[in-house]
Amino acid sequence: MRPAAVVTAVLIVLASATLAFAQTDCTKVVPPSPWGPNDQTGATNRVTPAVTKAAAAEIKEGKVIPMSYPLVDGVPLFGTRFTKTILTATTLAPGAALGENQLTYMEDTWLSQSHVGTHLDGLGHIGRKDCYFNQIAMGKFINQNNMTKLGLEHIKTFATRGVLVDMVKVYQAAGKFKGNAACKKPCLDKGTLITAADIQAGLQMYNATLREGDVLIIHTGWGDLFEQFPAQNATYNSGEPGIGKDAAKWLVSQKIVAVGNDTWGVEVIPGEDPKEAFIVHNILITDNGIHIIENVRTDLMAAEAAASKRSTFFFSMTVPKAVGLTGNFVGIEGIR
Amino acid sequence: MTAFSAAPAPVKGGRRRTPTSRTLALLLILLAATAPAAQERRWVVAFANLTEEPGVTLEGTGFTGREVREGFALAARQWPIDLVFYDNRRDPQQAFANATDAIGRRVNLYIQYHADASTNAAVGSRLRAAGIPVLGINHPVPEAPLYTVDNLAAGRIAGEALAEFGARSWPGRTLVAVIVGNLSAVEDRVPERAQGVTEGLRRRLPTLKIVSLDTQGNPGRVAALLGRVLASQAGSKILVAATDDATALMAKAALETTGRLADGAIVSHGVDRSIHGGMSERKELDPSNRGSIVLGSVAFYLDRYGYEVLPLAVRMLRGESVPARTGTRHKLITAANVFVEYPPYDMQ
Repeated sequence: MRPAAVVTAVLIVLASATLAFAQTDCTKVVPPSPWGPNDQTGATNRVTPAVTKAAAAEIKEGKVIPMSYPLVDGVPLFGTRFTKTILTATTLAPGAALGENQLTYMEDTWLSQSHVGTHLDGLGHIGRKDCYFNQIAMGKFINQNNMTKLGLEHIKTFATRGVLVDMVKVYQAAGKFKGNAACKKPCLDKGTLITAADIQAGLQMYNATLREGDVLIIHTGWGDLFEQFPAQNATYNSGEPGIGKDAAKWLVSQKIVAVGNDTWGVEVIPGEDPKEAFIVHNILITDNGIHIIENVRTDLMAAEAAASKRSTFFFSMTVPKAVGLTGNFVGIEGIR
Repeated sequence: MTAFSAAPAPVKGGRRRTPTSRTLALLLILLAATAPAAQERRWVVAFANLTEEPGVTLEGTGFTGREVREGFALAARQWPIDLVFYDNRRDPQQAFANATDAIGRRVNLYIQYHADASTNAAVGSRLRAAGIPVLGINHPVPEAPLYTVDNLAAGRIAGEALAEFGARSWPGRTLVAVIVGNLSAVEDRVPERAQGVTEGLRRRLPTLKIVSLDTQGNPGRVAALLGRVLASQAGSKILVAATDDATALMAKAALETTGRLADGAIVSHGVDRSIHGGMSERKELDPSNRGSIVLGSVAFYLDRYGYEVLPLAVRMLRGESVPARTGTRHKLITAANVFVEYPPYDMQ
């Protein structure tokens, strides 16, 4: 190689290496938040007092439907994620009880990644390059322990209306149901692409429509495999039915605050384009501040909806004010 | 109902409609009536796979027929297509039987993946007689568009990458190139791939010594074959072009066990799951494994044939013209671009 060519090659290599680490102009990569340049709250801005009050009208019987799976050793976890508890019970040892009242106590250490079990994806979870929701260049807002922007502490309440669509019934009614033999109850197979039209058909099935501030919950039946842990963990994690890009874009237009279902990633896996990674996460979280809730227990609410022909409920979800976290295990109840 | 509601309401006062307005109204009715039907148009497309025998790999790569089939099933989700799958089992009689069945089903288009030229000619002729358009994969069907790998081009990419690395990293050192793999697999056109590698190497290093090692389809022979070359080339740097990913990994192991890891660089062909993979799997091609002597692998994309072939099929079904030959866009996949080209499979 001639010297000039060597210098050119070195410059190209150096330039490309520099580009890889350069901070991206996030205004060109992610749209701005409709709630202003300082917004870190995203779609939960839509949960106004009026929205919560209207949602409360869904409580007619006071019946509480659990929508979270118990978090216990052996449940399926994505990739290398882990969760482990360690119990401290030293006061149970003979002579270790305290005082005349013989007080004993126990505490736990919960050593866990945050995206385990039924969990919420926060706004800092998913980005495009180094750009996150509301054009935040996240590289400037992280330290060894957490994010200093877009943490869970900025999210407003999820006291709002939940709407369930039963995709198993939609597919059965349309004559296009294709299940998975590992499911004990009917489930859509992995790779089943749920479209906007499918969701609309699911809403129509129970005469429901989406309104601003809603949480949409989709029952695919895939959660049946979660319940069979650990026997079906590999199958559960091998793919999933879920929403595709057109459904995600339609949900954005409906101004919901979150979408959840009984799978580990909410979106269809394998995806529509093999060269895209978790693209629905980008559309919902990065571009629109709409949360994703994974591993939601949906079967009980689906049964309620089928029995009553009513698919709406008060959606109550507790998200800890865990500062700087990207997501967390959540407790969800649907109240009817 | 919708069609009639789109027609103009009767005009008060008994005014007669002009012929133009009548024509317009009629057109509106026709448009409204036909538009939903056009949107709902679905086609039945048959895909007759080369073979789906478990464990059997295709085209001299690590991909199986099952992966090709799954790729079609996934790609079809985006198109108004209902797929009918057949397995040709590399058997002419089976290929005939499959085509006959598809004619009976009146499929709208037939995708033929079969290696035997005379069978393809006969199958193509029967399908055409039945009015069913045909599209061939990797092996021509007369008068039908062909989607095909380009072994020569893929080999050249590998050869050039190796030569470039050798010249850049080891200037002034003695370089020896080794082409290793199932070199006698004529049906899989591996010799074309090897020829491409030779051309690619020679383009950059015209006097390079090139040694060919034929594993005859058994990657387990790589250690012995390559070991002999390594022993005879103690002071040389070795540029290894493996014709498939399994062979590449065996070549890496051979260099490792002989203590010659620092003397070798490998470029492979295929990019099958053995060389990339899921998020939590160990991957040879991985951004966090940039130091690997496996520099990369030239993608053959058999797992994505559906994404390439079905759009051609849809164009044919819509009456649009398609090229007589569409080649796979082979590309060198390295640690630097593998996550763009092949995101971990459990994340896409």
